Amino acid sequence: MLNKASLATYIVLTILAFTYLLPFWSVLTTALKSDVEVRMTIPIVPPSNPTTMPLLKALELMKQGLLNSLLFTSFATILSSIIGSVNGFMLSKVKFKHADAVFLALSVGIFIPYHAVIIPLITVTSKTGVYNSILGMTIVHTTYGIPICTLFFKNFFDELPESILNAARIDGASDFTIYRRIALPLSWPAFIITGVFQFTSIWNDFLFGVVLTKGSNQPASVVLANLLGTTAAEWNVQMAGTFIYALPVVTVYLLLGKYLIRGYLAGAIKG
Amino acid sequence: MEALLNNKLFFIHNSQSLRGRNMGSHGSLPLTIVFIASLATAFFFIYGLIGWNVLLSFTKSMGLITSYELTGLTQYVKAGSDPVFQISLKNNLMLIVLFIPGSIGLGLLLAVLLDLVGGRGETLYRTIYLLPFSLSFVTTASMWAWMYNYSYGVVNTLLTALLGRALQVNWLGDPNIALYSVILALIWQFSGYTALVFLAGIKSIPESQINAARIDGASAFQLYTRIVIPQLKPWILSAFVVLMVFALKAFDFIYVLTNGGPGVSTYVLALLMFRRAFFETDFPYGAALATILFTMVISVVVPYLLLSSRKGEK
Repeated sequence: MLNKASLATYIVLTILAFTYLLPFWSVLTTALKSDVEVRMTIPIVPPSNPTTMPLLKALELMKQGLLNSLLFTSFATILSSIIGSVNGFMLSKVKFKHADAVFLALSVGIFIPYHAVIIPLITVTSKTGVYNSILGMTIVHTTYGIPICTLFFKNFFDELPESILNAARIDGASDFTIYRRIALPLSWPAFIITGVFQFTSIWNDFLFGVVLTKGSNQPASVVLANLLGTTAAEWNVQMAGTFIYALPVVTVYLLLGKYLIRGYLAGAIKG
Repeated sequence: MEALLNNKLFFIHNSQSLRGRNMGSHGSLPLTIVFIASLATAFFFIYGLIGWNVLLSFTKSMGLITSYELTGLTQYVKAGSDPVFQISLKNNLMLIVLFIPGSIGLGLLLAVLLDLVGGRGETLYRTIYLLPFSLSFVTTASMWAWMYNYSYGVVNTLLTALLGRALQVNWLGDPNIALYSVILALIWQFSGYTALVFLAGIKSIPESQINAARIDGASAFQLYTRIVIPQLKPWILSAFVVLMVFALKAFDFIYVLTNGGPGVSTYVLALLMFRRAFFETDFPYGAALATILFTMVISVVVPYLLLSSRKGEK
């Protein structure tokens, strides 16, 4: 806005940037060091003799968890995005009585602490036979993703001019046809925003994973947390695991960051 | 032909009536089915299970086989006499008092600095500051466990190097310090988010206002303190609500970084609930703690949602 940045501004921003990146740098250097070097050198110094041993060891320990996370994260991301798209369309373009009240009641679900549902959730998943399974994790993440996905798509469809849809309505197209032929193809940006938001938040989840899964069905987040408890002395393996677990999210952030940012801001813009 | 054209115009002018049709009236059955089924499921998982949890908090039963034997407020009385409950509440309060102003203050500073730079520099630095926020709390907790490590950690190593003498702080092992270490790391993770929100707020202020103030001879500092920051109020409120909700329900990060320790010095409400319910299998007490947590969150969120939906109607 002002573009009157002085050299001092750049210096402050750069110092802060290095501070913010310091934990990432120390993860990288430590993940590439041997056991001995971790103890002999300080973590800021790059490895003198880089080794992939910690990465391979961490991958071996975490591969099942990573696969589990990848499966239910992908399924739940796709399912909740599709459901959110239909719900957003219904709430925005097919108006009906009390639509605003329904939307408000659904929006509360974005903020609730999952601690308030986690005990009954064990009973529900056990009784329906999906406790401790990829299917169960998919169902739970899809369902609790519905409020935020609906919000993203409703916001998007609210911006879509009625005139685009009305031409089709005059031609006698049904709502379903309008959704499929017009709204759906136009809403690809909303799908990317919702998709990256859901992928990162489901991949990042810990609570559902730690309560609703055991042993070989645990997601990567829980496996990594357990690693910290058991191999505390092997910091290089721990940091390698941290690196591997964070990698998909960091990749999404660096490639599709501008969509992720729009997701982060969606709640704030409403204020 | 002319009649047809008029007809079309008529329909366009009456778009409101087209919008107003009842759902399901015009071949939208597949959509209606998905809509109703998904909403019924979501409402059951949200409100149904919250209700179930509240019911559970009024019962006594051990383990998951719930005999719904009502015992009134026993579980809540138990919370009142649980010393760890009070410590947890106090720590949640510490998060509110330190973590929220810290994140908002640093976020404001970052947003103003980013705005001053503008262009590519703004995008680059913003990408760096926001990176921690995109990560899982398990990731950041694991990172900070290493950062704060007593013997080899970056923080102690750097402090020693900067001060030129050995200065070893037991960041996570000293019960008087651990909570502050947690809060510091959380500010690191959230300040990029608050900066993002405030930066969006700054961008929404009309250029004309800035130019008018500049013509009146306002300095850059005056511009921000008198024109820009006062107009960020709604953005600060929305960031405040997000931070407040987090300060109340914080769990993953603390569970992985300190697990409440040393002793019970970094317990928070959500962590206490988790341990009472799943380590000691005292489900009714866990349910009562979860109900208290839920009530606190909802008393922040609902007024905010009502306020913003009313604003949206205007």
